[in-house]
Amino acid sequence: MATPAQKTVDWAEDGEPDLAAAIPAPQVSKNKDGTETVVTIFINEDGKKVKRTQRIRRTVVKKKENPRVAERRTWQKIGLEAGKPAGPGDTTTLGENIMFKPMVGFKAGGEQEKAPEEDKKADALKKMQIKCRICMGDHFTTKCPFKDTMAPAGEDAAPVDMAAVENGETPQGGLGAGAGGYVPPHLRKGGAGTTGERMGGKFERDDLATLRVTNVSEFAEENDLRDIFERHGRVTRVFLAKDRETGRAKGFAFVSYADRADAARACERVDGYGYGHLILKVEFAKKADGK
Amino acid sequence: MRPILLSGHERALTQVKFSKEGDLIFSVSKDHTVCAWYSANGERFGTYKGHVGALWTVDVDPHTRLLATGGADNTMRLWEVQTGKLLKTWDYLTSIKRVEFSEDGKQLLGVTEKRTGQLSHIVVYDIDSNPEAEQPDEPTLRIIVDELPRVTVAGFSFLSQYIVSGHEDGSVSQWDAKTGELITNVFSHDADMQVTDLQWSADRTYFLTASKDKQAKLHDARSMEVLKTYVADTPLNSAAITPDPQSYVILGGGQAAMDVTTTSARQGKFEARFYHKVFEEEIGRVRGHFGPLNYVAVDPTGKCYCSGGEDGYVRVHHFDPPYFDFKFEVEREAASQSRM
Repeated sequence: MATPAQKTVDWAEDGEPDLAAAIPAPQVSKNKDGTETVVTIFINEDGKKVKRTQRIRRTVVKKKENPRVAERRTWQKIGLEAGKPAGPGDTTTLGENIMFKPMVGFKAGGEQEKAPEEDKKADALKKMQIKCRICMGDHFTTKCPFKDTMAPAGEDAAPVDMAAVENGETPQGGLGAGAGGYVPPHLRKGGAGTTGERMGGKFERDDLATLRVTNVSEFAEENDLRDIFERHGRVTRVFLAKDRETGRAKGFAFVSYADRADAARACERVDGYGYGHLILKVEFAKKADGK
Repeated sequence: MRPILLSGHERALTQVKFSKEGDLIFSVSKDHTVCAWYSANGERFGTYKGHVGALWTVDVDPHTRLLATGGADNTMRLWEVQTGKLLKTWDYLTSIKRVEFSEDGKQLLGVTEKRTGQLSHIVVYDIDSNPEAEQPDEPTLRIIVDELPRVTVAGFSFLSQYIVSGHEDGSVSQWDAKTGELITNVFSHDADMQVTDLQWSADRTYFLTASKDKQAKLHDARSMEVLKTYVADTPLNSAAITPDPQSYVILGGGQAAMDVTTTSARQGKFEARFYHKVFEEEIGRVRGHFGPLNYVAVDPTGKCYCSGGEDGYVRVHHFDPPYFDFKFEVEREAASQSRM
């Protein structure tokens, strides 16, 4: 009965204090299609009067529950949980979404299938203890990308055989007599010149302008290194040694410059440069044939 | 499927059990605590305090009034589920490896461990399902297992007619539950491969055993015949049968706990494996645990399953529609024919 009285009040003429009192109760009307229309007039946060019309459809969802289960939902919690509100609330810790779709002929997944094979391969490699003598990588020395440019790591001097040759001792034949052991034909006395022919001559020119960069962060990328070194000259090649299995950097890289002068400058400047929380060490790469 | 992680245990889970209506989950672990959880959202209902050793086993009676637990403190205890009150403690000379209520909840079975100078015992008590009642001190039946190897698991068959036990050497025995006489002993699993779990079908007419020999076998409870064999590629710790209408089995296992640190999670095979119960074919896996699965339990209403792992987590999985819709071609044909 309050509505007609309120209707007589013209809100436009009303003063501010009466505004709140002038709000009519929400009007609910039933529609033909079973929905309800609710018209509400209220004052929003800005103090403005707002009319809101909502259409609502009510659906009754019936849910059957075992009375025992329903009773257990009301149990008071016990033990370490004592004192907490009874029954399951709405807090839930959900794990990541896991796909589970039963299927005929399930075969332990594509990637699961492959993975053990990879592991086998890696295991086999580990068993054989393949280690490149040049870059210490887990490949054969002959497959090393630096076989022609770098000396085997940790071998500064020329191989023993060579020293023997230089000393004038004469190892003859394939199986060297004396201390030398096997001497490759091109190093034997009277062999093809002093240096012999070498394969992969195209790397020769890099020899003088290649830097060996060590103490590289394992998260380094080739492009990052290229960015650093290109500031000092034209870089022809960047090689970052990566672990086959993990794909992470192994901690060293080779950078070749077109010009030796650039390489020398870069060597000077980048040596000691901090990159990826580590300090780079840069030096000229050792030549394969020793010096 | 988004699993719910129940993280309340600090050490490896040893057994998880659903209440008959599937609304509560009871879990025991090596950290001496018994936990009860609401399966709907993983909230903890409570803990049962009293044990002073690692717990090996838990079971709840069909009315969800009484809870039995057993562990390495050489006691078997009976609790009131609702209040957490300790009703009864039975002391033994060795630890309790398995407890199980009979189908009607009137009998409780316990398995004691065989240890230096002590034989495995299977003890049976008559239980009054009223929490107020006095429980008996002495067992009504005590089977002393002296000729057979160590008992690892045991349970009651349909109508509490037989007691079936699994042994350390991979054999399964059937006993008369009234007299305690050994009826038969069958070697269904590989020799010296421990039977790690024994779970019943809904009507307890057949059961599933899991073993370290990487197989789970479905046995008939009366004839003890091996009906089906499910072959996995990892030692199994647990095997569960899903209730009708989905006829699957869920196997759980993984590399032994002692070897886990030396292998990656991927190789550890810490997955729940689903097999079709009849066709013995693997139909899927659910990953998630980062340790071996020590126990797999299925909601008796078939809506979800949970697994307790060596990693200290219970993961509750509510099945998605694909699980309920999945059928083999022959099953679909059979269904359409029966409709015609």
